[in-house]
Amino acid sequence: MLLKLSLAGMKGKLKDYFVLLSGLVMTISVFYMFQTLSWNTEFIKSNAMIRNIQLVFIVGSVLLSVVTILYMLYTNSFLLSLRQKQFGMYMMLGAKKKSIKKIMFVETMVIGCASLVIGITVGIGLAFIVGYLLAGQLNITLEGYQSFYLPAVLATFIFFIVVFLCTALINHIKLSRVQVLQLIYSDVHPDDMPIQKKKNSWLILLGLISLSLGYVSLIFMEKLREIGLFAAPTFTTLGTYLLFIGYLPVIVNRMQANKRWTSKGVTSFTFAQLNFRIQGLTKILATVAMLIALGAGAISAGLAFKNSASQMAEMMGAYDVIIKNPNAEEKALLKNIHFTEENQYRFKEDPDYTYYLRDDLENQRPLLLVSDGRKPKFKRVTEDLPEGKISLSEVKNPEVGQQLSDEWDRALWNLRTNYRVFKQMIVLDSETYHEIQGQEKLMYIGKSDKFTDYLHEWQGIDKLALEKDPILTADDLTSKYSFYNMYSSFTSGTMFMGFFLGIAFLAMMASCLMFKILSGASKDTSRYQMLRKIGVRRSALSTSIYKELFIIFLFPAMVGLAHVLIGMNMFSFIILNPYYRIWVPIIIFLIIYCLYYVITVKLYKQIVLPKE
Amino acid sequence: MGSPVVEVRNVQKVYGKKGGNQFKALNDVTFSMQEGEFVGIMGPSGSGKTTLLNVISTLDQVTSGEIKIDNVDITDMGQDELSDFRSQKLGFIFQDFNLLENMTIAENIALPLYLQGTPAKNIDAKVVTVAKRLGIEELLQKYPAEISGGQKQRSAAARALVHEPTVILGDEPTGALDSKNATSLLETMKDLNDRQNVSIMMVTHDAYSASYCQRIIFIQDGKLHKEIHRSATRELFYKEILDVLAQLGTKNA
Repeated sequence: MLLKLSLAGMKGKLKDYFVLLSGLVMTISVFYMFQTLSWNTEFIKSNAMIRNIQLVFIVGSVLLSVVTILYMLYTNSFLLSLRQKQFGMYMMLGAKKKSIKKIMFVETMVIGCASLVIGITVGIGLAFIVGYLLAGQLNITLEGYQSFYLPAVLATFIFFIVVFLCTALINHIKLSRVQVLQLIYSDVHPDDMPIQKKKNSWLILLGLISLSLGYVSLIFMEKLREIGLFAAPTFTTLGTYLLFIGYLPVIVNRMQANKRWTSKGVTSFTFAQLNFRIQGLTKILATVAMLIALGAGAISAGLAFKNSASQMAEMMGAYDVIIKNPNAEEKALLKNIHFTEENQYRFKEDPDYTYYLRDDLENQRPLLLVSDGRKPKFKRVTEDLPEGKISLSEVKNPEVGQQLSDEWDRALWNLRTNYRVFKQMIVLDSETYHEIQGQEKLMYIGKSDKFTDYLHEWQGIDKLALEKDPILTADDLTSKYSFYNMYSSFTSGTMFMGFFLGIAFLAMMASCLMFKILSGASKDTSRYQMLRKIGVRRSALSTSIYKELFIIFLFPAMVGLAHVLIGMNMFSFIILNPYYRIWVPIIIFLIIYCLYYVITVKLYKQIVLPKE
Repeated sequence: MGSPVVEVRNVQKVYGKKGGNQFKALNDVTFSMQEGEFVGIMGPSGSGKTTLLNVISTLDQVTSGEIKIDNVDITDMGQDELSDFRSQKLGFIFQDFNLLENMTIAENIALPLYLQGTPAKNIDAKVVTVAKRLGIEELLQKYPAEISGGQKQRSAAARALVHEPTVILGDEPTGALDSKNATSLLETMKDLNDRQNVSIMMVTHDAYSASYCQRIIFIQDGKLHKEIHRSATRELFYKEILDVLAQLGTKNA
């Protein structure tokens, strides 16, 4: 009988249960997605460029667990609030408290198990789709990646069963304490009082200190190593929570106190509403800020790794392509490329030496790469070549050798196409050069306007080089493209993890904030209705909602992005320039975030401003 | 007596779809209210008194007929126009106060002024003036949760008055108050009506509250049943009201 009652009660609030269930499913599936990588040690070890990747995942797991538990506590109190009134009524009609507690326990567990099964299924599906799409987009093959991974299923299952048991226990204790009347009137709230803000100076101070500690460990990650890896997330998270709890209400209060802003139209209500709500939102907003930091950070890191391949390639040398005796096919490919500089040098070969013509080198002095370790810089060779007539026997004598200047030595060293053949290079005056027997050949070098624009062409040229010289394999080539390609394959695994986790964290962030705002919306309905009655236009109310939620969305975004901007320092020891094109992931994130803001506003409006 | 502030002519309000199960909440109601009048609307539950107040307060639309407030026909206005109209011409006092608990009393009272775009510098003075009139000037910086029910209803009345509306509409304003607070509020309303010539229309089912009015319109089954005027003392008028209610009761039974 009680079961029947319970089911009937749930039917009446299907919409609320849907919100609840979808929130839980989202959390579980994201947790699962994270676990598929975290437990697949073989995959992450073989694909990551970070030595301590295991540690990164452990720290990530701890962070995610904390966030998940916080989120579950919210959902649980929402579940309880859905049922309280009915429970009170059952008790008034004679149901024993024991049976009520039993219903609640069973209901918590049933909802928990249902969401667990759906959540893991969705998680597997998402892991598969995201993995598949990313692999396709990034043009990589993922060896060892499994969207269905048994240890991850087990870990997720055990974690959430424990969490659900705990929340069921909490509900049990809560129900033991309350009286029947409290339950019946649970939806009649005494007017809530905006809490008078005491300046939580010590909270703010503590928050600032721990946030600074967190930032310092992010910036000096390379020196702090393992200590930094623990200190950075711990202090940054702690600082974020403390600042949101201590400082955010103060900021909002200040905004409300500014009469110039708040005395026009419905704005006074907007800020009052914001001020009223913010106390209950601080923790969830801090959570959202952390999830944004993790999500946008992971995507930025992924992109930074992707970009690092081309940057590393730029550091390889001044010229993008070097071809020995370009044939017709190669020339055709070269035609597609816009070069900023092209040089050709005549040379002759014998089994031991390569002879270059001094005049050619003199007339087309090549560029040299001079780098400060971060950004490629170029310098034209200025030093002198050996003057006058050069005696061949002298330069060929290994003990005397040809004394080329340092710059020229490097410049000529760069005129190689593979690692296989090493021949000493000798620069000759034209007279001696022409005495050399053998066919004259051409060494072509070119520098394009942008290396990454012509990847397809470079690939073709490398392929032709291999065809021309059958003894070479792909590993022997010294071309910029082959280096780029090799480096890309190193980074693609790390890049995949970054994108994968980024998407997962952003999804979790979305579900978290949306859940909190929508689950509290029904309580706001009466306020909006009252405003309607005293003559506020619907459009003005709508504007008010847009404004209020905008400010709510703004704070975590700002803090989250600040974390990302500071946090990218962490990768500076492995990537040349982690900030290269950082605006790309930030803009991608902002677009997603804005979309999601608009959706939340629409859903919220549907609840508090019913159609007339 | 001045010009009519509210004119209701042949108003019908039908719930339900055509051909379906229709219910006439208001059936050909016609009456008018002069400037400076204090009118009560009474009737048993389900008689249509709240529906009447809702259509007059522009919250609900009539099926047919015409309603003019301050010589403006409100029956063919759009939603936005109606919102503006409410915020300028009408003041509301609800049974459950409907104060916004997230704003101080001063902010609650000032809300209609904010909505009309009154310059910020004039707002404080107006709020203080109206608060003094209702004897709540000490409460201005408090939040609704910190004051009693009677004080809340006075604050709501202050909010209804602050923008000097054409007419104040009360929906069981004393319904949630104890007798002492109810009397005090009614005295205040009568005082406003007597001295400041504020027009008030109030729906109530309580004969005692109704006895403060000058004129009472009785509705039954969506139709005007009777209208009585106060001619002698309030006590006599109270008895007269009870008589009419008794009549209505026996007819029902």
